[in-house]
Amino acid sequence: MRSSAARLEQTGSPLGVAVAVLLHAVVIVATLFSLQQHTLDIADEMPMVPVDLVTIAPKTNVMAMAKQQPVSPPKEEPVQAPTPEPAPPTPSAAQEESAPPDASAGPAPQKAVPQIVPKTKPVQDQKKDKFDVNNILALLDKRAPSASSAPNARAANRNVKGFGEQTAMTADLSTALSSQVQQCWSPPVGAPDPRKLVVDFDLFLKQDGSIAQPPQLVGNSAAAAASDPYVRAAADAARRAIYTCAPYKLPADRYSQWSEINPFHFDPRQMMGQ
Amino acid sequence: MKTVAFAFALLIGFAGQAFAALQVDVNQGNVQPLPIAIPDFGGDAASGANIARIVRADLERSGLFKPLDPKSFIEQIKNVNAAPTFANWRVINAQGLVTGQTTMQPDGRLRVDFRLWDVYGESQMLGLQYFTEPENWRRIAHLVSDAIYERITGEKGYFDTRIVFISEGGPAKNRRKKLAVMDEDGANPIFLTKGDYLVLTPRFNPTAQMIAYMSYIAGKPRVYLFDLESGRQEMLGNFPNMTFSPRFSPDGNKVAMTLENGGNSDIYVMDLRTRAYTRLTTDPAIDTSPSFSPDGRQITFESDRGGSQQVYVMNADGSNQHRISFGGGRNGTPVWSPRGDMIAFTKQDRGIFHIGVMRPDGGGERIISNGWEDEGPTWAPNGRVLMYSRTLQGGRGSQIWSVDVTGRNERRVLTPGDASDPAWSPLIQ
Repeated sequence: MRSSAARLEQTGSPLGVAVAVLLHAVVIVATLFSLQQHTLDIADEMPMVPVDLVTIAPKTNVMAMAKQQPVSPPKEEPVQAPTPEPAPPTPSAAQEESAPPDASAGPAPQKAVPQIVPKTKPVQDQKKDKFDVNNILALLDKRAPSASSAPNARAANRNVKGFGEQTAMTADLSTALSSQVQQCWSPPVGAPDPRKLVVDFDLFLKQDGSIAQPPQLVGNSAAAAASDPYVRAAADAARRAIYTCAPYKLPADRYSQWSEINPFHFDPRQMMGQ
Repeated sequence: MKTVAFAFALLIGFAGQAFAALQVDVNQGNVQPLPIAIPDFGGDAASGANIARIVRADLERSGLFKPLDPKSFIEQIKNVNAAPTFANWRVINAQGLVTGQTTMQPDGRLRVDFRLWDVYGESQMLGLQYFTEPENWRRIAHLVSDAIYERITGEKGYFDTRIVFISEGGPAKNRRKKLAVMDEDGANPIFLTKGDYLVLTPRFNPTAQMIAYMSYIAGKPRVYLFDLESGRQEMLGNFPNMTFSPRFSPDGNKVAMTLENGGNSDIYVMDLRTRAYTRLTTDPAIDTSPSFSPDGRQITFESDRGGSQQVYVMNADGSNQHRISFGGGRNGTPVWSPRGDMIAFTKQDRGIFHIGVMRPDGGGERIISNGWEDEGPTWAPNGRVLMYSRTLQGGRGSQIWSVDVTGRNERRVLTPGDASDPAWSPLIQ
């Protein structure tokens, strides 16, 4: 990097351009931060919606519908003398018979309630192929047809920085992060349509596992959250989980693999028995 | 050329970084009430502390919030218009913060301002201002609770509502049953009848202004209407035989109820404007407990036409009657959720009564109450919470209980004395 900069120095003007670009970037970032700081301090910029509550009668309220009631001249039946009568034929739950009907549902009332006990996501990708010396030929045979693509898969050099770096070995990181954040995630599971509660975030983390910048909704979630209160509640719940469980404990030497999480996918449908 | 190469290298670097983004799926969570800090509201009106106390109680009762003990707060909120120091609230693990203040206006009205803050996101989630007569401070507190509940859960709140129920008292052999109304939190109970005659199955109309119920005023069980504003009651229709199990249509213009005739009970609908009635079921079995779907197009009811009491659904004109409950036991008293997605019912199985919910097509049946004899469910106007009667084993009285539709947060509703047959009002407007 340093050598390329040195080379650029010799050319003169391109360096000027690069420096200008850098300085501009610094100014923009600084402005953003200072603006954000500023707005937080001034609560007046966050408007309050005034709600004018007119005088409310202590007992009830007068509604338009009530005025429509007298349309039909009510047959004024004065309250008659109260005469209680025994043996009320309670309409709803009265008829009791002891003959047990079809008995399939046992007295385990809580059974059907959606399971909420947090479970660690099973690690599927940990299965290692057992190396069987006797089977080595069969293994080779199977690989033969796709032999042309095999060298590519094996050639990635893990010491080279940049893309391709350990990308195939991130399943354990996903599981680790998922199991940490789920302790803090309390999705609004009583909502009528569980499909609305699925949200995706883009999150940048610092090397110490803390949050580098506020998580952003991505994909369909962003637009849906703006218009649907259920999606917004689901997005808020996921965002709170991301914040509350931070900083995350992840291997520092593999930071380049978890510096960005996208999509950070929250889906409570399993919890709701869907 | 070298510049181009440099830019290309930069581009590749960014592309590489984007490519390396880790994908994470989270499918399991830990459903917990949201820790929220609600300090007493400041300002010059004395009701600030009372309003905050009611809001804390409302949110705690919902089971979805955990209001933190004010003693644990390390920051004093002095100005509702200044952003709080969020770090001070993160220290006590608050995820939400409510700040508010009350002021008396020159015209004698009470002004209540409040803001809901996201402590970790360091942003305002909601800011509202109410003006009202000072006597209404309690209602304002419920409205604040409703607004917070709605912002956090995505559903309308239900704290500014009332419950009509049957209050029971007196010796076991001579129980007096009175028609009573109270706020959703048990405050302001009012008795509407004196208990001289039996009253059962009260139901609110959609404006929460009128109650339909069954009473033995004239010696025979009949459906009556009680106007809460005027205190007047009238018999609904003049039928020779008993009428019971009334329920208003969602537009409030009709009442569906059961008419008994020669031992045969059928469901009728009466138009309240014309008092004309239409018969919807003609089966020789017992058809009762009608309840409209929120769009008014369908009615769920119970019938024993198939040999045992089960839940049925029909169109509002009586067509397409079909059974939906196949989950075992006897099932009755169906009530359609105001949200439309569920029907709550009472399941009687092996001598035990439970409250259950299922979809209108009969699928997804779940039992959500834990008592020995729980019956007669009623929905909160947001379709999220249910109340029902619980009879204690051994005739030790009856109580009203509530439970979240998920089956969590089952708890007793405070009533003056024994109580049964609750019916939730719609949102008061």
